[in-house]
Amino acid sequence: MRFRSSSGLAAIVTAAALALTGCGGGSGSTDSSTSADGKVDGTGKTLNVLVNVLSQYPEQQKQWQADIAAKFKAETGADVKFETFASANDELTRIQTSVVSGQGPDVYSLGTTFTPTAYATKAFVTLSDDDWKKVGGKDRFNPATLGISGPDADHQAGIPFVSRPFVMAYNKDLLAAAGIDKPATSWDELAEQAKKMTKDGTFGIATGYKDNFDPWKFIWAMSVQAGNPLVDGNKFKLDDPTVKKAYQTYFGWLTEDKVVDPASVGWSNSNAVAAFASGKAGYLMMTTSSSIPTLDKSEIAGKYEYALMPTIAPGETKSKSDGDAASILSGDNIVVADYSKQKDLAFAYIKLITSKDEQLNYQKIFGDLPANAEALASLTDPKLKPLADAAAKSKATPFTGAWGDMQLGLLNVTVQSVPDLAAGKVDEAALESRIKDSQSKGQASLDRASKG
Amino acid sequence: MSTDASNEVRLAAESAASRAAHSAADASSQEPSGPSSPRRKGLSERNRPLWMLIPGGVLMIIIIVVPLLLGIFMSTLNLDQYTLRKWVSAPFIGVENFVEAMTSSPLLHSVWLSVSYSLLAMVVTLPLGIAAAVATQNAFKGRAVIRSIFLIPYVLPSFVVATVWRTMLQPDGIVDKALGTVGIDVGLWLNGPQTFWTLVLVQIWASWPFIYLLALSGLQAVDHEVHEASALDGALWWNKLRYVVFPYLKGPLSLAFLIGMLHHINNFTLPFVLFGVPAPADVEVLPILTYVTSFQSFRFGLSAAMAFISLVLIAIPLFVYLRAVKLDDAESPGAKK
Repeated sequence: MRFRSSSGLAAIVTAAALALTGCGGGSGSTDSSTSADGKVDGTGKTLNVLVNVLSQYPEQQKQWQADIAAKFKAETGADVKFETFASANDELTRIQTSVVSGQGPDVYSLGTTFTPTAYATKAFVTLSDDDWKKVGGKDRFNPATLGISGPDADHQAGIPFVSRPFVMAYNKDLLAAAGIDKPATSWDELAEQAKKMTKDGTFGIATGYKDNFDPWKFIWAMSVQAGNPLVDGNKFKLDDPTVKKAYQTYFGWLTEDKVVDPASVGWSNSNAVAAFASGKAGYLMMTTSSSIPTLDKSEIAGKYEYALMPTIAPGETKSKSDGDAASILSGDNIVVADYSKQKDLAFAYIKLITSKDEQLNYQKIFGDLPANAEALASLTDPKLKPLADAAAKSKATPFTGAWGDMQLGLLNVTVQSVPDLAAGKVDEAALESRIKDSQSKGQASLDRASKG
Repeated sequence: MSTDASNEVRLAAESAASRAAHSAADASSQEPSGPSSPRRKGLSERNRPLWMLIPGGVLMIIIIVVPLLLGIFMSTLNLDQYTLRKWVSAPFIGVENFVEAMTSSPLLHSVWLSVSYSLLAMVVTLPLGIAAAVATQNAFKGRAVIRSIFLIPYVLPSFVVATVWRTMLQPDGIVDKALGTVGIDVGLWLNGPQTFWTLVLVQIWASWPFIYLLALSGLQAVDHEVHEASALDGALWWNKLRYVVFPYLKGPLSLAFLIGMLHHINNFTLPFVLFGVPAPADVEVLPILTYVTSFQSFRFGLSAAMAFISLVLIAIPLFVYLRAVKLDDAESPGAKK
């Protein structure tokens, strides 16, 4: 392309650059429309809320949003506008653009493990005591759920909304047929029981080695239960023997114990759910309440139950973690954008949706457990009991902006080991070198985090 | 990503086709009406309304030049999730990102993977596409149907192609079962060293119709007289194909090669959906590496440096190639004179 005037071109570039950087300002003044009785007057205002799409329940979600919007309007006079994101990537993109430009939704819903990364951007409000009061007080929440709201009790940005703890499901008939009277509480016992159930095309355990999340959750859980929380101050501890032991146990189900379907090297979690739903597996590992709709429609409806996953590390006789670490602390947190000009309104919205009644209502529709302590305690359905237990015994993953890299490293060890797994043997030296590789990457990331 | 690329490719295909047709028309009209052509050329040279390019030019600056400059700027910053919020004032670290990308990241390995996989896919798709185009050149009953069927892989979105193939290639999936009935056990498709060949295979399946399309456009440009003349000279089919038809295809196919290579190297959707993230080490191609660095490790500066390095690496052979085949010269659309 030839342009007659290069100065014209320069002007255009400058103008465009200015236009792009111009939206980088954004201030954080809070409106002061709170009246004396604590009611927020938001007449004529609109609160923008970004939530994840619940693809299992599209209609119900729309209905729920409409109901909440109506209630919020009645309470504060303000409208709520919901926007949705379909995937974690979508959300990340939204957060990035909002963080950079200083404008966007007022309220975000975040997955728990993503909260540290979001916190590291410093783009969200760290709640003061006063702010906590505005959302109904810190003590209205199940204490375990606050574990990943911030780096310590005084710096918390994430307000718990729902819990989605991980449990295992077991097939009552298969366990009974193998003479097992109650589900395993240690990983060693789990492998033993699984061996008893493995025969004629039925396997003791259903799990997906190619899932994008499950593998690191197993390794994390077994390591934490063996007393290694993976991050110790400024040290990443993936090269600890407990981690190797965890990988060996996890891979061993396939290579040594032979209690999982060999095809599961290519499975994701949903394949494992399908295998369990067809009655071909004794245990379904690492599942949440979201598997209820699938399982209740399957041929094992009524024949399965949930239980806490084992809390005693491989080769141990009791849990060495403070708290049982039955599950990673999983669910959704809500954060308020720092640039929001209507923070009080945002807090009022959060107060509404974390109230006991709304939380119970949400549980009834979508299955996620309440983060509200009172609501959680009032659940009586026996099927939900182990889930509620797991929610109370959940433990947070390390709160650091480097967690994304660490999780990737944990997962990468499994991804690169899958060919060995399929061949039936994971070479110890190869496993060690993969762990070492992830260790050095994770440590580098942690070093940056401590500087940042 | 892929939709952009395929749009671009489609446009290019259309323009190549129309250009080829145009040149053919030009060539045939020039001989009888010699005196009219210099006048036409003079008009278009003298009073070209260049100002009409401004809207397009401005758009190009906003969507290409500005992001490119921003990307280069970002590559000199220590930009990660800790500094993202005030990114303009992120610490300036000069060429450190470039040094890290070249020395302590898998970038060069990724470049090698990307280029070799693209070349392999290209080398296989070229003869496939040409053969398909030649086979459907002469009219026969049902030709329209066959031609449409040939285009199916091309019109399917990358995401769909990758999802379908991923399902078929699962362990104990339909491909394994089919091969199993004839006693072949290939092993894992979606993990381990074979993933590279899986990627090449799926890429070939998805992209040969593009070569076919451009080859077809080249064939349309072959004048009827040429066919007649070669028939009069007694040329048999191979000689006719080799010395008469293929020279016409050189332009469109060079273009197809170029665009196809760039498209493969930039293809993110296919490996991402097929293998997921983190990808097996054998398919950690450039777009995947850049993506992981940006959106899993949040090293935006480093990934901008990676992207820039790969841009330069790709631009060098591209430039040489463009000069060599004179594709950037609109007046000679490849046809051998």
